Amino acid sequence: MFCDEVLELVEAIAAGDLTPDPRVMTHVQSCAGCAAALAAARRVDGLLKQRTTPAAPPQFTTRIMGRIRRDRWRRDQFLDLGFNLTVGVVLLFVLTGFWVLLSQSGLGGISHDAANILGSAASDLMHRAAPSLPLYLAASAIVATALGVWWWAEKDA
Amino acid sequence: MQPVHEHELVERCRRGDEGAFQELVNQYKDLVFAIIARTARDASSAEDLAQEVFLRIHRGLPYFRGEARLSTWIYRIVANVCVQEQQGRKPVTQSLDEGSLDRRAASSSATRELSDLILRDRLEKAIARLPANYRLLVAAHYLQGVRYEDLAEALNLPLGTLKTQLHRAKRQLRRLLETELK
Repeated sequence: MFCDEVLELVEAIAAGDLTPDPRVMTHVQSCAGCAAALAAARRVDGLLKQRTTPAAPPQFTTRIMGRIRRDRWRRDQFLDLGFNLTVGVVLLFVLTGFWVLLSQSGLGGISHDAANILGSAASDLMHRAAPSLPLYLAASAIVATALGVWWWAEKDA
Repeated sequence: MQPVHEHELVERCRRGDEGAFQELVNQYKDLVFAIIARTARDASSAEDLAQEVFLRIHRGLPYFRGEARLSTWIYRIVANVCVQEQQGRKPVTQSLDEGSLDRRAASSSATRELSDLILRDRLEKAIARLPANYRLLVAAHYLQGVRYEDLAEALNLPLGTLKTQLHRAKRQLRRLLETELK
């Protein structure tokens, strides 16, 4: 029975977590089984202390920083998308409300006339701007390219 | 790490200072990697899991209140990642005799070095047969600088329970290696 009690303690004694009372040590000295168990426990403790400590691979920090940047970019994109969708939905609600208000208040007729005026003004503007259209297109292409390069650089960052 | 420096580093990370986070990674990468490499059953996944730990640290830093030490909080994340990695994996049933090192070779050459090598090989296999929580304890406890108190706090265990579990883990190892240790 005493052996069972001692065998429960050998790991704690081997690790130095427990100072055994003299009764236990006297038993260990006289019992071959418990002495072997204590020696084995000390050996296991020693082997565990000698285990090799694997070090992180050399490029670990660079790789994790890259992964964090990608993760942050993805989260930013998600937030941007959410923000844009919210703005779109709010705008849609405002326009719908405006349209309903115009229809119900009878101001729709007036707004129809206003739309005609705006349409003819836009058509006139288009006729005037037509000769400069290639210039506008080129400027738009430059702006689009610049935005594309910025997006690509942010994506890889 | 000094608590003042630790607090400052966390604050810089929270402000989005990339250099501060890089410093944090450099300070903890070896410790995190070592615990994971020793605990994960699939050693090839150790780097992915270690990256996952730092990703969680980065996401969680804004919510880190600083009530525990940073290292304790990091151990807790490591423990969660390791436990999640174990879920869904089959328990190891590999025999301690399987593998490249043969006991007969040791007896024939009778060299102490080789028998030590074999013993270490068997120890690793015996550790792989331990339950995940015991494996994590054994992996973390025997790393330099990791204290009982930090582990107990990280794993939400009373100090006495942690020590008891560690002793039980080692008792299992001793029993698994009984023949080799004689």
